[in-house]
Amino acid sequence: MHAIRILRLFLNSQIKSQRQYPVSFILELLSSTIILGFYFLAFALVLQRFGEIGGWTIGEVAFIWGITELSFGSMDMLFSGFDYDTFGPMVRKGQFDQILLRPVNVTIQVLGSRFVLRRLGRMMEGLIIIIYGISILNIDWTVGKLLYIPILIISQVLFFGSLFIIGATTTFWTMERLEILNIFTYGGSEIMSYPMHIFPRPIRLIFTFLVPAIFMSYFPAVYILDKPDPLNAPDFVSFLAPLVAVIMLWLALQFWHFGIRNYQSSGS
Amino acid sequence: MNAFLATIRISFQRQLTYRAANLSGLATNLMFGFFRATVLQTLYNESTVVNGLTIQGAITYAGISQAVIGYLSFFHWYELMHTVYDGQVGSDLLKPQNFFVYWLGVDTGRALGSFLVRSAPLFFIYVLFYDVVYPQSLLTWLCFLLSLIFAHLISFAWRFMVNLAAFWTPNALGIGRFVFGLSWTFSGFYLPLDLFPDWLAHFSRATPFGAGFYIPVQIFLGSLDIRGLILSLCLQLFWILALIMIGQLILSLGIQKLVIQGG
Amino acid sequence: MTPIIHVSNLNKTYKVYKNHKGYFGLLRNLINRHFKLIHAVNGISFDIQPGELVGYIGPNGAGKSTTIKMLTGLLVPTTGDLLVDGQIPWKERKDYVKKIGAVFGQRSTLWWDLPISDSFSLLKHIYEIPEETHSANLNLFREILELDPFMEVPVRALSLGQRMRADLCAAFLHNPKLVFLDEPTIGLDVVAKQRIREFIQFINTEKHTTILLTTHDIIDIAKLCERVMVIDLGKILFDGSLETLLTTFGGRRILSVEFAEFYPAPILEVAEIIRREGHTVVYSFERKQVSASKLIRQLSENYRISDLEVRDQPIEDTIREIYEKQLLYNHPYDKENPSS
Repeated sequence: MHAIRILRLFLNSQIKSQRQYPVSFILELLSSTIILGFYFLAFALVLQRFGEIGGWTIGEVAFIWGITELSFGSMDMLFSGFDYDTFGPMVRKGQFDQILLRPVNVTIQVLGSRFVLRRLGRMMEGLIIIIYGISILNIDWTVGKLLYIPILIISQVLFFGSLFIIGATTTFWTMERLEILNIFTYGGSEIMSYPMHIFPRPIRLIFTFLVPAIFMSYFPAVYILDKPDPLNAPDFVSFLAPLVAVIMLWLALQFWHFGIRNYQSSGS
Repeated sequence: MNAFLATIRISFQRQLTYRAANLSGLATNLMFGFFRATVLQTLYNESTVVNGLTIQGAITYAGISQAVIGYLSFFHWYELMHTVYDGQVGSDLLKPQNFFVYWLGVDTGRALGSFLVRSAPLFFIYVLFYDVVYPQSLLTWLCFLLSLIFAHLISFAWRFMVNLAAFWTPNALGIGRFVFGLSWTFSGFYLPLDLFPDWLAHFSRATPFGAGFYIPVQIFLGSLDIRGLILSLCLQLFWILALIMIGQLILSLGIQKLVIQGG
Repeated sequence: MTPIIHVSNLNKTYKVYKNHKGYFGLLRNLINRHFKLIHAVNGISFDIQPGELVGYIGPNGAGKSTTIKMLTGLLVPTTGDLLVDGQIPWKERKDYVKKIGAVFGQRSTLWWDLPISDSFSLLKHIYEIPEETHSANLNLFREILELDPFMEVPVRALSLGQRMRADLCAAFLHNPKLVFLDEPTIGLDVVAKQRIREFIQFINTEKHTTILLTTHDIIDIAKLCERVMVIDLGKILFDGSLETLLTTFGGRRILSVEFAEFYPAPILEVAEIIRREGHTVVYSFERKQVSASKLIRQLSENYRISDLEVRDQPIEDTIREIYEKQLLYNHPYDKENPSS
């Protein structure tokens, strides 16, 4: 398909220009791995004093923490074009008009407009933490669980991607930086790194019904790690992650297209 | 002096105009405050004190951490770097005002504005939800305020230095990110340093990052006696002077480089 | 012959919301909204035939960029008919933009960090340009626009003139039927301007590409366009040849006289003194009202003259007067039918 081919070309040229400075690239990669890793390390060191958090051990926390990091990092790399901080200025500078003037699907162009390889750092960090967690845990592996893990990761990527798309769409209306969206993207990834049953009810409700993060991390982990669930949810909710992700992506894209149509009728 | 105050005032007013950004920053930080408080509460569980830090102290700690994000420009500050890259720095250096003093004025105005519109309200709202501990005496309050001012100066001094990297490399942003990352780790921002293994806690506290964040919190929580108070404030002062001196050195080297190499 | 651009009674109206100030302003903005209607484009109509090179001028805020945005499919009109090469621009975007090209003086159409040769390759794939067409055009443009010295340089490192040439190459690479040029000579020196004007003329002559040129440099129009449209306050006030515009509203001449000595008040009845410098006095007069020779005779009867010069008022000044004094509003509307 024409659009996919163009996307591949865009991504290639992105990677090419980022590879021009290999030393600084490697350094930045390592630096982000280390800095992000410190955050987990700090938590792990503190957890040593207490032994467990809400009944979850460090290995179990590492599992959900690591998967969230891996997914968020992957999303951040793939959906860099929709990053609020770069898409907003792009619209303001009139470069979005340039996208509309090219005979290629708009969403594909935005996806291909930026591909931050540096995010591999976060992905690596996540992977290391997952491996650490799994290595100290005694998970009762089944085929189902093994198959579910990649599905879960992809679902999380799409979930975070939807949030990014929604964030980018808001820049069509407002020039000011809306940090409030960070509550859902970065807040979402933060809260997904902990077993969600520890949070007070109002917060849990927000992240169940407004931004369904609980289906993306906590319930799937309850299934994989065979944890007791104090929230007493039915078993099937653990498998809702892919469905929730797809629905969110669909909703995000509807909003995105609405935003583009509105941009064309009201001008910049 | 007038110029300095004027710079502060202009920057302060500018900060106040970012209404939506200030308010949503407040909301986000508050939400994260709740997260952090929850994690600490869950960790403490039945215990009331761990390594000298009470659960109320820990919760207070989390609230202050979130409140000072705006005030200390905790997550990123690359304004100076940008002026180097777009050439604006050239005309800034020609201004009659001392370059360092100018940027100090700009950042102080921003900090004051942020404190007024984001930090203070955030803390006031936070204490509606949680039991928080307060300084017990007037002396402690005064030391806290002084320490908070020192914290701003320390923060500005190292942020200024880091931005100067732009004189030498087009990838100063990467360096900046790394140093900011170090500041989050060693300041005690994520989790109270009291809960860290002792060796790590002592090391972190000695760094400018720890001095610029953890010390004010310690004072607020009343963890220090008179001797501790004086030593801590001195430690902060030490870092202020050291960072400013190194910063001046780097600045003059940078200006030399700029003048020799041009554009 | 069917026009390539057909515009009939085109309107674009915006709602501009008043923004409340202060911290309670945010709340007020949600509930208590005041707005103003702005008629950026207020009922314009025109036809452009294939192969024409038309100028589109007007003061800032007149509605030029709004018109161009509608013609390029970036903006949806409020009411009116708009057909470009038989299509409604905004409706069939992907299909439509294949046929057009655009150059914007204010920003590049190319990728900021890529060497321009890479940009040109990307465009080949984006517009699905056949290999022979792409290389033929690229070689031709490289030569005429002298792009070889900086083919491997990214846009961010190019000078304004270089960037403009690269953008021009890119705009015509896919043999578009219609190209919009928005301020293509802005900020350039006279040599660069001339080079670009030559290129535009060349393309229009050789490839019969229809070109719509928006510019503030009236010399661009004088050198390139047989037809010019003037827009102001959303309405097209003039559509005809530049010459007609100038003879109707221009027609002022400048008489510059260097007197032998200083005269305090060498006043003429039908001429305006616009400048004095030492012994030199510069007059401006209407060609229709009085002839230069009559003025010279009048002056020489009363004063001693060392030297003098007569010339036409620069076109820029005529245009400026038309904008400032809204001359097109005061004179009866003079529309010429653009012939095919």
